[in-house]
Amino acid sequence: MNTTDFLTISAAICPERDCLVFEGQRQSFLRTNERANRLANALAGLGIGKNDIVAILQVNCPQYIEAYFAIARLGAIMVPLNFRAKQEELVYMLGNAGAKALLVGSRYIETMRAMLPRLSAIQHIIAIDDGQPDMLCYEELICSGAADEVFTDIGDDDVTVLMYTAGTTGRPKGVPLRHSGFVSYVLQNVDPASPEIEERNLLTVPLYHVAGLQAMLAAVYGGRTLVLMKQFETTEWLKTVEQERVSRAMLVPTMLKWVIDHPDFCRCDLSSLRVLTYGAAPMPFEVIKKAIAVMPRVKFINAFGQTETASTITALGPEDHVIEGGPDVVEKKLKRLAMSIGRPLPDVEVRIVDESGQEVPQGETGEIVARGPRVMSGYWRDEQKTAQVIDAEGWLHTRDMGWVDDEGYIYLAGRKDDMIIRGGENISPEEVEDVVCAHPKIEEAAVVGVPDPEWGQQPVAFVILKKGETATTEEIIESCRARLSFKRPRDVVFVESLPRNPMGKVLKKQLREQYVQMSR
Amino acid sequence: MSQLGKRYRCEVCGTEALCTRAGEGMPSCCDRPMVIQEPKPLPSSD
Repeated sequence: MNTTDFLTISAAICPERDCLVFEGQRQSFLRTNERANRLANALAGLGIGKNDIVAILQVNCPQYIEAYFAIARLGAIMVPLNFRAKQEELVYMLGNAGAKALLVGSRYIETMRAMLPRLSAIQHIIAIDDGQPDMLCYEELICSGAADEVFTDIGDDDVTVLMYTAGTTGRPKGVPLRHSGFVSYVLQNVDPASPEIEERNLLTVPLYHVAGLQAMLAAVYGGRTLVLMKQFETTEWLKTVEQERVSRAMLVPTMLKWVIDHPDFCRCDLSSLRVLTYGAAPMPFEVIKKAIAVMPRVKFINAFGQTETASTITALGPEDHVIEGGPDVVEKKLKRLAMSIGRPLPDVEVRIVDESGQEVPQGETGEIVARGPRVMSGYWRDEQKTAQVIDAEGWLHTRDMGWVDDEGYIYLAGRKDDMIIRGGENISPEEVEDVVCAHPKIEEAAVVGVPDPEWGQQPVAFVILKKGETATTEEIIESCRARLSFKRPRDVVFVESLPRNPMGKVLKKQLREQYVQMSR
Repeated sequence: MSQLGKRYRCEVCGTEALCTRAGEGMPSCCDRPMVIQEPKPLPSSD
């Protein structure tokens, strides 16, 4: 089985159900399947075939999903480009991938034209939503392609997507994702389309991100209607949940905070919401606690993974978000809610290891490593970087630090590169952040290690105060002394905002550099 | 008669089959009729 079967199956089981809803337009599973076939046949006519690279630069839209299935059905490989990437990065990604064709949205046409002189390998450019005199037209291709099913010999281990991950540091790295990776996840975790069960999934996470792609494939296989938003906007999100009777959605922590703090939150009818998944960045404890309180009927899931693992590898399930029981149970559950990413999913092995790759005893901090059918076998055309993250036994080193409790729950302790080493002692930035954020005047905080001539590194807190509050550096540091002892921050920088990547992860490298600059 | 969109499981060998087109017959495996599986909606993390 490969991912292209997901659409074929759902189009057979629930042909007339809405597959895609976007800006008031609706398209059934049958129609989506037919359009994907037409596009595949048209692309084949352009000479696109097995293992060819086809890139796409566009916000979430129905054509993005049709294009995924069309490209996959030809055995070709899609490169979903980050539309927030800088021009230099786009040129690098397209060149590194070896893209033969490119689909581009109207928003990015001019960017593309400016890059063209440096993209000589690209043979075909297809304008998705606007006719362009010097480009092929998406709708004309659909009209010209036959509706016949496309049969290509696709192996389970063939690559279907080449996804570039910028993470929080360095140059984008190409991660080849196989059909088998997504099939393994979807078959283990999602029930197939059913004529009786209808769900509606609001997708705001961009499709160039592995979480967006995974959610799209899960929805198509599950026969769930995908309600698409170009980009997240809080008022629009609330309105869409109400109007489309959305039953599930994924939000990054910052988005969830915007939703529950929005003045319209109480005025909107969100009673259709059943499942909210969050992840991609650490969830502030106060945010999830409030979210559970204001949405008692919703099942929350914390999903943890990365591009290299084809998304989710551990999950903190709905039962872990129900804070009930005796005082001991409540304390344990609150701690899990604040810090745990849950337990590994059945189709992946996860361990915590030390520097030499040996598993550490329960409760001790080490690096989280993963192995299994979903884990990538290496970066695209980069043996050096591959060797840095995949060891001889096939374990992917995630560079996320963590520890495991007596019931198998994993707790994050920060990025390996962000770990603070003060006088030989490891300090988890997450642990310090939790304590700093417990201060009643603090809205948000990020803690980084900065160079120190005596101790090697010292923790420094970048802090956003709550509206109208004032505080001194000494006051914040003192408030941490009792709980953190030597791990307490030695300086505090008050800021208006924290630098983040598009998924909401704080760019700690930038904060470290900022502090060094300030200290000069 | 088989039912569209239903999963059938062989209780002997564990094979599962998904019906994408219903017909008069019933799926069987290991010389026995396969057993229909009830769908369990919610939750998966997507």
